Amino acid sequence: MKGNVYVVTSGKGGVGKTTTTANLGVALARLGKQVALVDADIGLRNLDLVLGLEKRIVYDVVDLAEGRCQPRQALIKDKRLPGLFLMPAAQTKDKESVTEAQMAHVVHTLGADFDAVLIDCPAGIEHGFRNAVAGADEAIVVTMPEVSAIRDADRIIGMLGTRRVRIVVNRVRPEMVKSGDMLSIDDVAEILGREILGVVPDDEEVIDTTNRGQPVALDGTRRLATIYTTMARRLLGEDIPALELQEDGLWNRIRRIMVGQR
Amino acid sequence: MSNDVREQSVEQLALQAPPQDAPVHEADVAAAKTVPEVKPKQRPHARERRAVAGRAIVVTSGKGGVGKTTVTANLGAALADAGKRVVVVDADVGLRNLDVVMGLENRVRMHSLDVIEENCTLDEALVRDRVRKSLMLLPAAQNRDKDEIEPEDMQDLIDELQEKFDIVLIDCPAGIEQGFRNAVVGAQEAIIVTTPEVSAVRDADRVAGLLPNDMPARLIINRLRPNLVRKGTMMSVDDVLEILRLDLLGVIPDDKEVIVATNRGNTVVDISGSPTGAALRRIASRLLGEAVPIPDMTEQQAWFSRVLSGLRFTRSSAAKG
Repeated sequence: MKGNVYVVTSGKGGVGKTTTTANLGVALARLGKQVALVDADIGLRNLDLVLGLEKRIVYDVVDLAEGRCQPRQALIKDKRLPGLFLMPAAQTKDKESVTEAQMAHVVHTLGADFDAVLIDCPAGIEHGFRNAVAGADEAIVVTMPEVSAIRDADRIIGMLGTRRVRIVVNRVRPEMVKSGDMLSIDDVAEILGREILGVVPDDEEVIDTTNRGQPVALDGTRRLATIYTTMARRLLGEDIPALELQEDGLWNRIRRIMVGQR
Repeated sequence: MSNDVREQSVEQLALQAPPQDAPVHEADVAAAKTVPEVKPKQRPHARERRAVAGRAIVVTSGKGGVGKTTVTANLGAALADAGKRVVVVDADVGLRNLDVVMGLENRVRMHSLDVIEENCTLDEALVRDRVRKSLMLLPAAQNRDKDEIEPEDMQDLIDELQEKFDIVLIDCPAGIEQGFRNAVVGAQEAIIVTTPEVSAVRDADRVAGLLPNDMPARLIINRLRPNLVRKGTMMSVDDVLEILRLDLLGVIPDDKEVIVATNRGNTVVDISGSPTGAALRRIASRLLGEAVPIPDMTEQQAWFSRVLSGLRFTRSSAAKG
């Protein structure tokens, strides 16, 4: 028993599970930790693309679960960062081809060797969700300040049982929160009743970096990289007070001066 | 909202149904001939119904969060405005959201599983839209599992809806599990929604391959940001089409108005002057067979966005400094 196993989940799709998994993994590795990222979205895998490792897949998590290979054969080492590894999902198989027990065994095996294991959960609450959650000690629920995403996050929290749950509020548009067109972080925290791990602003850069397979957290000079690093340090047990809102205030002021209220 | 409106049942709507010799949609005929994958029906006469039935179209994507539910709600509204009797079906059992997007969440009483389990009639489960009398919602169950619905039951349900409505739009859940299979089984046409991002396009490609071979599938590219396409940091419409090789049904520009409207349960097609609403209306017309051209958004806004991106450059450099 070495590191914790975290499942990154959301209920609703497209809120940023995969991007969050990749960037938290990168941030943890940059802090010198050994991290395994597990893609549990069998049949619709994408974590390999976001990390830019899609051409290096030989074995996948289904092969491992069924005993056709060893963990180190299926794990892909990210050459950009020592300590960062990907366990890819199978693309041509079904989510039903792996059982919850098999998945739990896989992540526990990895947990013994790594400081942290992050599982990228598929959207929805079907078999794939149950598989992804089976072996997780804690959960990171990614949501957006939108009614449907929050409703799904609430439903998911109810399905996570007694696990510790922390919230990542993704794609926040501060100017929309200010104008009252978007829920604030306090609103989200109050509705979901769980602690906030971090707040990530909406940023066009993420689309570009994702398309190119270069997670934004790789470049430590970027604003978003700092945010992911803070979240990673909180995961490792550091107590860091929330600073994002202040940052946003400054950001907003500059924006308003430069381009006027958008 | 008075009870009178609610009691105005689907039967009454059906009274205005087109006569038996109404023109039959080509796709329906094609689909009626080719549904061999589906097991034999429990209810009799289901096949015969098809001849006069409306069209059942599934809205799917593979990846979540690309806009299936928003597209379904808005196409439903636009098609109803075009004089069609429309029902939108939420197939996302356990994670329903179509009711929220339409602002009907407080009016949901029964759901599709209640109908299948015969706890209520179809009429009792349907919820009429706030504004449009010929638009109905069939909600999903929230506290149930997708595995609780058998594909055969779903097919029967869609058949029954096709008998009563001109168009049945099915909002498919994300993923390719049981919920996806249930959403597809009763449909004869598919709309695949994607965004110009590699992961969404990859998932759309996978979903296109999982649809029955004889099901016509058309593509909607959602959340296009013309300024990013011009900068070369977002895939263009042509890039996406080259990978997916599907017929293009429409392109919808990214618009933060959509978030506001969705949170409030409003419809984007009702916002006058919204480019997103206009794009959705054009898509509805194309669905009804009209030849509406697809404008090139990167051309159209070139001047405006050149000014904008100039400003944006100033802004980001100032912020970094």
